[in-house]
Amino acid sequence: MIQWLIENWLEIAIPVLAFLVTCGIGLWLRRIMYSTLLFWLAKAKWEGTSILITTTRRPFLLWFVLLGIDIAIQVSALPPETKGTTGRAIGSLFVMSLAWVFIVLSERLLRLYLPRVKTPERTIAISINIVRIVIIVIGALVILDIWGVPTTPLLLLILVAVVAAALAFRTAAPNLFAGFQLSATQQIRVGDYIKLETGEEGYVTEMNWNNTRIRALDESTIIIPNSRLLQHTVINYGRPLKKAKEPFHFHSRTHLTELTGLRAKNLRELVDILNKAPETVVYFHTHHFMEEHHYLTPEPANDFAVWVADALGDEVLGEKLASVDTFSFPDLASLRERLVGVIEEHLALGSNSREAMPGQEFYFMKSVSLILPTPYITHDLREFVETLRKVSLGSLYFHMFESRLRLGRGLNDFSVWLQDSLNEPELGQEIARFDPYTYSLEGLRSALIQLIEKRIK
Amino acid sequence: MGKSAIEELKLVAAKLAGKVIQNINSTFTGGGVAEILSRMVPLLGQLGVDARWNVIRGDDAFFQVTKKFHNALHGRDERITPKDFAVFQETTQKNIREIELYGDILFIHDPQPVGLITRKKELGKKWIWRCHIDVSHPNEEMWNFVQPFVVQYDAAVFSAPSFSRELPIRQFLISPSIDPLSDKNRDLPQETIDSVLGKYGIPKDKPIITQVSRFDYLKDPVGVIEAFEIAKKSVECRLVLAGGAAADDPESDKVLAEVRERASNNPDIHILLIPPGSDIEINALQSASTIIVQKSLREGFGLTVSEALWKAKPVIASAVGGIPLQVKNKLTGLLSHGIPGTAYALRQLLTNPEYARWLGNNGREHVRHNFLITRHLKDYLLLFLSLEHPEDIIHL
Repeated sequence: MIQWLIENWLEIAIPVLAFLVTCGIGLWLRRIMYSTLLFWLAKAKWEGTSILITTTRRPFLLWFVLLGIDIAIQVSALPPETKGTTGRAIGSLFVMSLAWVFIVLSERLLRLYLPRVKTPERTIAISINIVRIVIIVIGALVILDIWGVPTTPLLLLILVAVVAAALAFRTAAPNLFAGFQLSATQQIRVGDYIKLETGEEGYVTEMNWNNTRIRALDESTIIIPNSRLLQHTVINYGRPLKKAKEPFHFHSRTHLTELTGLRAKNLRELVDILNKAPETVVYFHTHHFMEEHHYLTPEPANDFAVWVADALGDEVLGEKLASVDTFSFPDLASLRERLVGVIEEHLALGSNSREAMPGQEFYFMKSVSLILPTPYITHDLREFVETLRKVSLGSLYFHMFESRLRLGRGLNDFSVWLQDSLNEPELGQEIARFDPYTYSLEGLRSALIQLIEKRIK
Repeated sequence: MGKSAIEELKLVAAKLAGKVIQNINSTFTGGGVAEILSRMVPLLGQLGVDARWNVIRGDDAFFQVTKKFHNALHGRDERITPKDFAVFQETTQKNIREIELYGDILFIHDPQPVGLITRKKELGKKWIWRCHIDVSHPNEEMWNFVQPFVVQYDAAVFSAPSFSRELPIRQFLISPSIDPLSDKNRDLPQETIDSVLGKYGIPKDKPIITQVSRFDYLKDPVGVIEAFEIAKKSVECRLVLAGGAAADDPESDKVLAEVRERASNNPDIHILLIPPGSDIEINALQSASTIIVQKSLREGFGLTVSEALWKAKPVIASAVGGIPLQVKNKLTGLLSHGIPGTAYALRQLLTNPEYARWLGNNGREHVRHNFLITRHLKDYLLLFLSLEHPEDIIHL
């Protein structure tokens, strides 16, 4: 044995040297590469850095050991068949260790990211197993190829299986990828108020791997597939604003006109009936024009002013009556008193002889109002302004006009809520200062929205 | 209409769940009431309201008598005899025995079935009398016959304030409405409009002024010609008087002859005799017009005005009947009181097309918000609910 070693020392020394040099290079390379990698990954602040380093650092050296063994064998005096077999064996070992590294790395990264999109544990486990299977299959195919085994039939089988799986998961996959993207970019987060171009809007209450749930203005839950959030334009209004102590429940109002059977053909009859008529009559004749013609003019032409000017031809009195500022009266009784006062003053001047032509008498009417709840309940300014955009004009009318004067609340409902429940006294006062009689109803809606949007910003 | 408005309609309709609304009138076909009910009943059904429709029975003698009653209630000279009242009473009693009154709310339309109310004591339920005609200046004897029936109802409905009377029961104002999707009111393609103009030989070289009405003295077609001739001295224009002859109106031929004679072969005046049921042609003529005129001396509600306003045409109309509810002077159209006023309004609009367009657009919006069938539907729903709620403010 010793004699053999002395005679063949060169044949042993060269492979050993080659092995040692390769391992040395591997050690040195590992040191350089990993310190550089650590530096750049630290700059990028990637949270997967430690996973990458710990998973690949040791196997990296092992690969150079295998490489060293392979080089040593190739430069040795062993027969070619032996070199080929050992080369294939070493190649197989390398593939196996590489596959193991990929499996561990992907498992650890999946366990890092999937929980962020609220993926259930079961789904994470399934995902990891799928990745494992894929890597093992690829590794096995490579090893079979190294040993010269035909792999084409196997590849075809795998392809068929992959296509079948892709078809089965074709709807879920886009949502999963979209969920990853949303999570990574943080463009939409739980608690944000969003509005899609397709109309859905509300607060985001949950985001998972498949869909995002929002609470709509009518308290319903809308489930939106994640892929839709990326396909459509979405406005994100951001974080919720302060919540009201009590939510605001929008109501609406519709009405029917009731005839009293009373009519006047001159000023004396007009004022006598007006003095005794129920307050609902005063309300009707000072407000219905606005409802009938809300699209047309913001001017609150009360019926008394119009009739006096048109049917009696008394434009002076008509102007005086039109000038009575409905907004400045806290209740209908005082409004009636003022209207009666204006007419009585005019009668005292002696201008009371005109009569309306037959058929043009003043017919006293009143409103029967039906107040109904809407499904809209708002808890903060954002929900409030978005609801304002969509409620009917009947709802706007009810809260700004009817509640103030006819129901005797003294102040419009919006101002009351803003001041008492949302602690927004300045905004409430600004809205209270609006003279709604100088706007058309749509104009009033726009003005309110503008004011509230300004406050939100 | 808007999604929220439809949601509100459904909410109101839901409050009538379980109630049956029984409409009763005199005929399923012909006339404005049948036209309204044929649209209204299915729409109520779509909202989940169980609305049904029955008619009373009567022979020719009965309907001759009710025609006389109709004219007399309108204030026209009619000689009503004791035999007429007897025929009415007899047929009413027959209907009371035969007709099944199953509704929770009985909605009785116009005078023909008004006598059914005598069953109220026995059946209870809620009864509404819907008056579609102008009874503001009736033949007093006629009204004195009808009134004792009317005051037994829980409520009465009129189409305009001026049509009402002093009654001890609740009275509501519900105006008629138009169906924007009907042949009379839907948008027509330009080819159709041109084809109708071609058919009647009406060139498009000048602004067209149109009045669509029966040839009846009360529509004052001769007055329209005179106003047109005054206006034409200042502005070039063309006049179209389109209407039909009513089978039950022997005067219409006479009026038509007088109108043709007054037109004196003026090439700018077109007198068109339109056959009944020509809704598309009427629509086309109105759509082709620059200005629509309705210079009636007397009018019921005058829903033809809403039909014209819906086409965004500036309208000049007389301040009679229900027209002032539709035309607010200088806002949604112009009201006139005679031939000189009509002529002046014509000149004003022909020389100020921007103002005319503004009036026309306002008129269309006014009809959209106040005289479409959806508003009518809402009013009926509220009417039914108000029977159970006598207060002025009802919280649902």
